[in-house]
Amino acid sequence: MRLGYYARLFGVQARASLTTAMQYRADFLVQGLTSLYWLGWNLVPLLVLYDDRTTVAGWSFGAALVVMAHFVIVRGILEGAINPSLGAVVEQIRSGAFDYTLLRPADAQFLVSTARFAPWRVLDVLGGVGLLIYAFVRLGQAPSPAQLGAGLVLLGAGLAVMYGLWIMIVATAFWVVRMDNLIYLLSSVFDAARWPASVFRGVWKVVFTFVIPLALMTTFPARALLGTVTWQAGIGCLVGALLVSVAARLVWRLALRSYTSASS
Amino acid sequence: MTIEVAGLSKHFKVHRRPPGLAAAVRSLWRRRYDTVKAVDDVTFTIARGERVGFLGPNGAGKTTTMKVLSGLLHPTAGTVRVEGHQPFRREPDFLRRITLVMGQKQQLLWDLPPSETYALNRAVFGVDPAQARQTIAELTELLGLAGLTDKPTRQLSLGERMKCELAAALLHRPTTLFLDEPTIGLDVAMQVTIRDFIRDYNQRHDATVLLTSHYMDDVVALCPRVIVIDGGRLIHDGDLRALVKTMIPDKLVSFTGGVPAEEVARLGEVVKAEGGRTTVRVPEARLREVVSHVLDRAGADLAVEDPPLEDVMRKLFKDKRAGAPAPAGEPAP
Repeated sequence: MRLGYYARLFGVQARASLTTAMQYRADFLVQGLTSLYWLGWNLVPLLVLYDDRTTVAGWSFGAALVVMAHFVIVRGILEGAINPSLGAVVEQIRSGAFDYTLLRPADAQFLVSTARFAPWRVLDVLGGVGLLIYAFVRLGQAPSPAQLGAGLVLLGAGLAVMYGLWIMIVATAFWVVRMDNLIYLLSSVFDAARWPASVFRGVWKVVFTFVIPLALMTTFPARALLGTVTWQAGIGCLVGALLVSVAARLVWRLALRSYTSASS
Repeated sequence: MTIEVAGLSKHFKVHRRPPGLAAAVRSLWRRRYDTVKAVDDVTFTIARGERVGFLGPNGAGKTTTMKVLSGLLHPTAGTVRVEGHQPFRREPDFLRRITLVMGQKQQLLWDLPPSETYALNRAVFGVDPAQARQTIAELTELLGLAGLTDKPTRQLSLGERMKCELAAALLHRPTTLFLDEPTIGLDVAMQVTIRDFIRDYNQRHDATVLLTSHYMDDVVALCPRVIVIDGGRLIHDGDLRALVKTMIPDKLVSFTGGVPAEEVARLGEVVKAEGGRTTVRVPEARLREVVSHVLDRAGADLAVEDPPLEDVMRKLFKDKRAGAPAPAGEPAP
């Protein structure tokens, strides 16, 4: 019953986002072209890097391309499904329009997380999938069904981690009101997820594994597809995703209590 | 009782900063906080189906009280019950019974027609499709929404948008309405439409209404009872007419021509004289005498009115600040 209720709610919100996107046809077109442009541009550093070497930190060009494809997919989901709504919440909290979210008898975190989608980002995700297929063709191998399954599960875990981090950032907006810069910062840091995690050394390795677990978002799902992930690491990813999700929920609920609402 | 408020206080910590760039830089790492008592020990109850005006100057604590009552803010102290619930728990059953309309904020999706917001609210509040259709038909008729709900919100005029906002807020047929400045910025005709609609909704659904408005006409037309707060404290709760009578026990008598100038001065204090129409302020005890005198001279063109509520409020706040005793609040009907 509750599941059906939230499924319906999701449907209505998604339809509203789609309708909004359709209303601005020119924008739709421009966004599509931008997606293609970025897809191409993303490859440039990789091509430069592998121009005169065959492996970087043990990663061949094809394998690094698998990580890159994951980066494109995850970023497409981030820009298409997470950033639009959560960015809007920060603005709503500042203006006080968030009041109306709290007046609705549904979970506020669900409402804000599904409030806005950018449908054309589907193109990014499709581009990423295309890149993934190309990478495997180049490698001359194909993931087994088990590897495919593990890859999808770890991709899900990676997305959960990213969503959790973003929720925690947004939650801080309840206390400090202006949060835009932290969102930019996190978006910039996320850019590092285009590289296999083992490329990073020293302090960055620690930061990207434990503080902002970029490795969980792209490298581990990619390694699962390539069949190079141990099952211990896989379980570690799932536990990490669970911990981040629970922490995000707790922080969100705590933050909601200190919502002060802007004046009329 | 639909609304029970006992000893309600809501305090905010606000960051204080002297003007100037130097102070702004200093405030980056050292901040001084002051406690503002937005609402301070307020107690009242409202029965099912009552229409109550909630009055007070800007910053008196009206909106804060409304937000506590609708569950948006945690009270600092005191107890609040609305529709049998503690609002800040935000239980779905509570939220389905109330609504809060804020004239200065909007819930309609800006780029989409209001009908999309209705679809969203229908899903969120779990309103049965048949009932939703019926409610929308009813609201469309009462508010004159025909042709508006399919235009993108951004293309609607302020008045049209407000009507659509009201419909969005009432789609789930709440039985307690918190209306915070629902007529702000609207022209007189639109104000009257909204006012009539609120009264009609109140009677049809036996809904409880708590209303704030800067337009005293709204309050006079809609609310037999008023609660007045100033500086976060309750200073009057009772019958509106009784309040007016206690504060300014005079009537305004206006008429055109007929009465010689020297006689006008003897009738009472002249408040206004323009376009051939004279208005004098008359103590209630002398009303009968003055009216019959004017009727003798000026004929039938005569009107007797209560003093404007604005004057009453101004006097009430002035007296309060000067420390005069409060007028005896009459129990609510």
